[in-house]
Amino acid sequence: MREPVWEFLIVNYLFLGGLSAGIFFVSAFCTWLQTDGKPVYPRIARTGALLAPWPVALGSFLLIFDLGKWWRFWKLFVIFRWESPMSIGSWLLLVFTGITLVNLFAWLTEDERNALFARIPARTPGRARILALNRDLGSWKRRLAMLGFPFAIGVGIYTGVLLGAVQARPFWNTNLVAQLFLFSALSTGTAALILARMVEKGPRDLAEFRFLYTLDICLILLEFFIVLPYLIHGQLSVLAVREALSLVLGGPFTFIFWGLFLGAGLLLPLAIELWEFKPVLMGSGTLHITRGLAMTAAGLVIFGGYVLRYVFVFAGQASGFR
Amino acid sequence: MANPKRYAMVLDSRKCIDCKACVVACKAENDVPPGVFRNRINAEHGGAFPRLRASFDPEQCHHCDNPSCVRVCPTGASFQREDGIVQVREADCIGCKYCMIACPYDARFFNEETRVVDKCTFCAHRVDRGELPACVETCPSKVRTFGDLTDPRSALHALLESRRYRVLKPQTGNGPQLYYLL
Repeated sequence: MREPVWEFLIVNYLFLGGLSAGIFFVSAFCTWLQTDGKPVYPRIARTGALLAPWPVALGSFLLIFDLGKWWRFWKLFVIFRWESPMSIGSWLLLVFTGITLVNLFAWLTEDERNALFARIPARTPGRARILALNRDLGSWKRRLAMLGFPFAIGVGIYTGVLLGAVQARPFWNTNLVAQLFLFSALSTGTAALILARMVEKGPRDLAEFRFLYTLDICLILLEFFIVLPYLIHGQLSVLAVREALSLVLGGPFTFIFWGLFLGAGLLLPLAIELWEFKPVLMGSGTLHITRGLAMTAAGLVIFGGYVLRYVFVFAGQASGFR
Repeated sequence: MANPKRYAMVLDSRKCIDCKACVVACKAENDVPPGVFRNRINAEHGGAFPRLRASFDPEQCHHCDNPSCVRVCPTGASFQREDGIVQVREADCIGCKYCMIACPYDARFFNEETRVVDKCTFCAHRVDRGELPACVETCPSKVRTFGDLTDPRSALHALLESRRYRVLKPQTGNGPQLYYLL
């Protein structure tokens, strides 16, 4: 097996980029869903808006830190190469991070904005100009959500395209990887919001949780039905792909793929969320909200999203043509 | 306008005695740091005593016609010259290592001294002076023949015309330009 070239920093970055994309997507969706001119789930939208920029910012920092010459990262933004997924991805990340930050600002209350600007030291050069930026962007929320949708999907799918575009690594070289990463990103984002709403004190809005659970169950199922064809198509493919898949079918990544990703990170949280959702499915009442179980399921979804990226980054690099 | 050259290499592996003179010559010529190499000898042993078999296949960057390393490079640091030689422009490389992952031949490595990706250049600096790559010049058993594919008078051309050959991993579609005589 060849030595991996991309290691944990890349796994972390792929996960964090996807997490932000997922959080923003759900938040934007909740901003876009309106009745009588008001968001249906404003608390999810706001929580998502406040959380979305940070994982991607941290991930981008890790990505830059992983470069051999990190101080040359600006070269990514003076050259655009449409053939290189990394080139496209760098621009997507830049624009997406910008949108998430403006969106966060739009969701701040006046008091929060004032408190933020009050922290700017008096001697800061151009302070007056910075203070002039303290404007209410509340009316932009829906427009920012609409603008951010394609970029969130772009960031979510690009991490998979980055890997899938490498024809030399048969474990990755299928468009299913991009779709799997996208749905996983959206699912981890949803789970992060379930977790965030659970942590917050005060009465729980069952409609909010019903929405988040519906979304997450759909996303986990979509993910599952991409994993299945990925394995089936791979097994029916050429020798190099079959050999690559053997890394998770009896090879060194078998337990991590089946036990940690598929079992603990996908099917177990799905089972928990379906159980919580059962009264709604049966039409016999509203969903259970068992704090411990809900947080466990959300935590497992996030864990599964991380393990998925771990398996793909490392197993993919171990695969090749003979 | 004259046709552009297309440099390639023919390798007669059966002549290789695994002396590694090419590896040493390359390191000395290109100042390759300790622990990493621009070229290598893939050794394969088989059979059972006393009927043993050993084969040695020298390998380095294949200077592909359609190089995936060049395609994925986000800054254009990996590029292909008009004469087909694939190079890394050190000043533009950010060290993301995407090209290393994209190379089906694992021909690239990370140079810890320069902090960028490094690989065989077919000794382009020598070729531009009309000389042969260091590995070709050094090889004592004449395994390597370097030349211009578009020149019908070249020794390389004659070998490919008269002998059967193969390229490694043609299914990746990269169009490798290291030709192994059968």
